[in-house]
Amino acid sequence: MTNNITLMIGGTQGEGIVSTGNILIKTLSRLGYFTYGFRNFSSRIKGGHTNYIIEINTKEVLAYGDSLDILIAFDMESIEVNIDRLKEGGLVIYDSIINPENYFVRRDLGFLSFPFTDIAKKYGSCIMKNTSLLGLLGRLLNIHSQNIKDTVEETYKKKGQDILSKNFTVLDKTYEEPIENEEIKTRYNLNTSISEKRASMIGNEAIAFGALMAGCRFMAAYPITPASEIMEYLSEKLPDYGGIVLQTEDEIAAITMSLGSSYAGSRAMTASSGPGISLMMEGIGLAGMAEIPIVIVDVQRVGPSTGLPTKHEQSDIEFLYHGAHGEIPLIIVTPYSVEECFYQSIQAFNLAEKYQCPVIILSDLALGLSRQTIKSLDKNKITIDRGKIASGENLEETKLDFRRFDFTSDNISQRTLPGFLEGIHKVTGLEHSIIGTPNNYPDNRKKMMDKRLNKIRKLESQNNIDIFGTTNSSLLVLSIGSNYGIIKKVVEDYNLPVAYGAFKMIKPLPVKQLKELTEKYSKILIVENNARGQLASIIKQKLPCHDKFHNLLKYDGTPFKLAEIKSKIEEMI
Amino acid sequence: MTTVKKYQNDVTPTWCPGCGDFSVLRSLQAAAARLNLDNHNLMTVSGIGCSGRISGYLKTYGFHSIHGRALPIAQGIKLTNPELTVIAMGGDGDGFAIGTNHTIHAMKRNIDITYIVMNNQIYGLTKGHTSPLSEKNFVTKSTPYGHIEDPLRPGLLALASGSGFVAQGFSAYQEQLIDIIIKAINHKGFSFINVFSPCVTFNKVNTYQWFREHLVNLDEDSDHDKTSFQNAMNKYIETGGLFTGILYENKQMEYHERLSKKHKTPIIYQNLDISESFDKLIEDFI
Repeated sequence: MTNNITLMIGGTQGEGIVSTGNILIKTLSRLGYFTYGFRNFSSRIKGGHTNYIIEINTKEVLAYGDSLDILIAFDMESIEVNIDRLKEGGLVIYDSIINPENYFVRRDLGFLSFPFTDIAKKYGSCIMKNTSLLGLLGRLLNIHSQNIKDTVEETYKKKGQDILSKNFTVLDKTYEEPIENEEIKTRYNLNTSISEKRASMIGNEAIAFGALMAGCRFMAAYPITPASEIMEYLSEKLPDYGGIVLQTEDEIAAITMSLGSSYAGSRAMTASSGPGISLMMEGIGLAGMAEIPIVIVDVQRVGPSTGLPTKHEQSDIEFLYHGAHGEIPLIIVTPYSVEECFYQSIQAFNLAEKYQCPVIILSDLALGLSRQTIKSLDKNKITIDRGKIASGENLEETKLDFRRFDFTSDNISQRTLPGFLEGIHKVTGLEHSIIGTPNNYPDNRKKMMDKRLNKIRKLESQNNIDIFGTTNSSLLVLSIGSNYGIIKKVVEDYNLPVAYGAFKMIKPLPVKQLKELTEKYSKILIVENNARGQLASIIKQKLPCHDKFHNLLKYDGTPFKLAEIKSKIEEMI
Repeated sequence: MTTVKKYQNDVTPTWCPGCGDFSVLRSLQAAAARLNLDNHNLMTVSGIGCSGRISGYLKTYGFHSIHGRALPIAQGIKLTNPELTVIAMGGDGDGFAIGTNHTIHAMKRNIDITYIVMNNQIYGLTKGHTSPLSEKNFVTKSTPYGHIEDPLRPGLLALASGSGFVAQGFSAYQEQLIDIIIKAINHKGFSFINVFSPCVTFNKVNTYQWFREHLVNLDEDSDHDKTSFQNAMNKYIETGGLFTGILYENKQMEYHERLSKKHKTPIIYQNLDISESFDKLIEDFI
């Protein structure tokens, strides 16, 4: 019996490994277990090695272990590439159609041959070897076959009754297939968890779901790995609520069309990754200048240029922080868990309309694509604050245009929407007057710049770093995005006596809170996935005590291993 | 009676005296007056360049956007509030250089907006550089030895891209232009008007006089069947693109008509708070 298993399913891309992993995650989550799945994939549809690592735990888990308990291989390459990742005493389960006898010399490992393909072919079709695999895992983890059947049914019901019943037969036959090694049958049985039906989700879905609940009714976007799931979810759901998702000709159209929609009164968004965000930068500048609310999601992948499209990195931080030519008001929120993706997405729409400026939700591939069990989302936290939109009926009659960009005490002006009888005004990317007409007088220019830049300045004094762990430690480990989950696992698994924090917003940088933290902690380690320590560099621009800051960087396209973070922390304590 | 005055504001245009754009502005105001459009329901979106300033010279909601992007912004506005009359405007650089991709896809998409290109075959605001619509051998500051490329043919591109309304006007033929703009606004779907709007400062070849000598009037051509795609193509080739009037008009299903019935209520009137749906929506993930 066990509380925690790290397993990997390996095979050839395009053979159903992802859906298999997803079914397992869904089944386990429904039974109250916590899971975290990480996909290793390449930029092709069929062929090439792919694997899906799934961490299973009776308690919350936001990262996967460095070494595997079980490796399940459909092909020889999966064994060759991954055998060294197994723990001592780990188990290789392989499809009986392959013969890995060369590896039997690894006496520290167990080997189990299982007729996945044979059962699938005999009772269904070859592709159902995935279902057979689910059946075997169900047996090893001690999950009732009916639980797997329920998820399989929901996933494959569109394929028709015949396919479904064949899948069920394959499952039943897998459960009946004799396994000689008695010890293996119980070794991986999961201890019971707190029984609660939990949801499983990827960060991209959580952002899209949050956007829907926040009242987003328009999205224009161009497909890109690893952000497409956001538009895919909204494409399916928005029509039910009268909203529109439009796939544009490019990312330039995506941002500008979304801006048009937002200007006309919708809550609008777009989503992309580095290459697309690069194309959007001019539109983001227009949103800043013309004070149009807009939400832009950047699910970061490896750059520069096309980089490694299917690999993880956090290297758009400085680009976005300093981004758009000229100087604009811009807010960057940084969710660090799937749950936070949901809440921050809602918050992003409120911030965009409150401050009438672009808001970027900065995510990363590991957060955006890793399917995991989540804690239940609190619907009471859903609020919609549309900021200073004037009421169309109560506007005073005026011979002049509406003062859309009027100077106010909080630097935020009233918005009117096209169609409002007395709200007529102009909008331009040129420097402009209070009614939006071009204006190049130095006095006006300076006042308008100050108005736009100062309206978000008070966010600097908000607490936007969540702090966890041993807060009376001398070391604080800071991170953004998916690194929070890995650090949390390291600190908890190894009982490390350190504090760790995750940013929720990096622009405006929470300067006040950072100052307090530098006074409280003698060392601050900033963990990030890029080559130059971009987040650290931004923090150092604002804070004097540079000798307190240390960096742990990784930029090989893979997320941090637990051991890499553990050894750095131990070195610093 | 509604007059053009209703759509005038007190901003003085930055255009050179004699610029063809004055006529486009006045024609649009006159068309709006004859259609008796509400100022507050008229939305003009423009690009960058001399022509781009036009959205600032009308007593309507006006969005002076960025170079080449008037069309996606205009489409976003129309999709959100279909009750607005949305007019996108810009120069030949906006429409056929930096924004060509948007032009083609806006025509393909067929959202009910009117797109007026103020075509002077030169980049005026950069002080005289070649345009994708400049004729071959045209001498400019960026082509001092003469332009070695052939120009794009906007009408053919519009037909090939699926625009259901393709017309051309000339700044000097204001009555015809007003009539075309009215018909374009009334056309349910994307409508494209290429207006020859001479640049009196930098284009010394394609002048008012030059156009008067070269343009033929399709509205006076009784053989011209503007509902025939084949005929429109032939007519364009036959005239070398040098004509005014409506080349092609054929109703195609507009974008909103293609959307499901659920979109009957415009986005602008949708209820944003759907918290009662939360439990149903989260079920997908459990």
